[in-house]
Amino acid sequence: MAQQHGIIVLFDVENALRTRSLDGNTYWFDNMKFLGSVGVGTEQLVTIVPGTHFLDGSQATEQVLNWLPAALGAIPPTVPRNYLAEQERADDRRTLRELAALDGEGGVSDADIKRLQRRVGKRAHKSGGGRGLTHSKLLDVTGRTTSDSGAYNYPAPVITDITGPAVTEKIMYPAQYGSPDMIYDGWYWAATVDTSRPGVYPYTMHVQLHELVERNDELVWESVDLTCESSLKITNDPKRNGFTGAGLGVLPLPPVPAVG
Amino acid sequence: MPPRNRQSERRPARAVRPARPVTITAVVDPVAALASESLDDNLYLYDTNKTAGSTGFGTPELHSRVRKGDTLLWNVLPLECETYVALTDIEIDPRIAEPTRKVYPGTDIVFWTAEVKQDLTEPVPYRLSFLLGTVSTPFTPTARPALAGPADEERAGR
Repeated sequence: MAQQHGIIVLFDVENALRTRSLDGNTYWFDNMKFLGSVGVGTEQLVTIVPGTHFLDGSQATEQVLNWLPAALGAIPPTVPRNYLAEQERADDRRTLRELAALDGEGGVSDADIKRLQRRVGKRAHKSGGGRGLTHSKLLDVTGRTTSDSGAYNYPAPVITDITGPAVTEKIMYPAQYGSPDMIYDGWYWAATVDTSRPGVYPYTMHVQLHELVERNDELVWESVDLTCESSLKITNDPKRNGFTGAGLGVLPLPPVPAVG
Repeated sequence: MPPRNRQSERRPARAVRPARPVTITAVVDPVAALASESLDDNLYLYDTNKTAGSTGFGTPELHSRVRKGDTLLWNVLPLECETYVALTDIEIDPRIAEPTRKVYPGTDIVFWTAEVKQDLTEPVPYRLSFLLGTVSTPFTPTARPALAGPADEERAGR
């Protein structure tokens, strides 16, 4: 199995929501610049897919692609996916502890109660009202809970489909994997590529962004569906082993471990 | 430099300042940087202030348009999730900004924040240093990003 391609798409969510377009608001990356991918870090990425054959002339295996979307100006994806849920809970526990501590000697000060009230809000949670990605708390971009609905951290964009010539011409076979639990898991998209037909094949990525809007005196997440484009370039170059520069085979491990 | 009373007149406008900081994101290809022992071709900088006139997107020479009082936030997006990447230092003239290292609460993932102390007339270059993999010496790109003041036409219009 050759190394899998990782394709990261960074979205300027704020601008994309404002202009309702991903044009100029999308930056593409892959980890194959050393093999000849061009446009890394721009809107015009062409992902190189070498390898209709191995160095010894035999038919190469298919290439696997993975797409990972990320939001610019948000908590980065290196922070665990369930971070929002965990921080909400941590915040509740902290509030409960402070509430219990209020009942000390010397009475309860109004200022303390007001501070806690500001944090938890005055309205009760609506049970079963799980319309959006969050219940009533919001995280800001530094990972703290916030009551300012203008400061919320953008949720990770969600890929909803991959279409276009690369798919209709059966160059790649994209599929969605994962779980519908957007808090702890979520979807991801991967594809296998038929490397037997060299050429440049564009594709369209369908992306869902989320905007927090106030409706009927309630904050709700609304989805905004947009598309952006990239392409694959399949070449005749042989697939190589990244360590040896040769074909697939054993890695150049020393026969004995290094001393020291 | 405008007189002091003009600054205080403009203060109400600060109230409508966006609630989010100006985020500067460093996209790092740690595998390529470790292989070449250089960040020069493997660092892509972006910010959330493109509409204000930031330039140099996707290069290590990002010029971020900022104003006095803006909160800045620097964070990192590694292209390879299994390789350690962290922003370890930001060197900038302390009269302009004094970045502070923080972590997302409950994690050890680093970001830096600072407040812009004054409006800038000239771009102020600064230096970012990163720790990659298990290498103990920080990586610093040759090219420098910069903070820049309001666009010329905006200044002229005042």
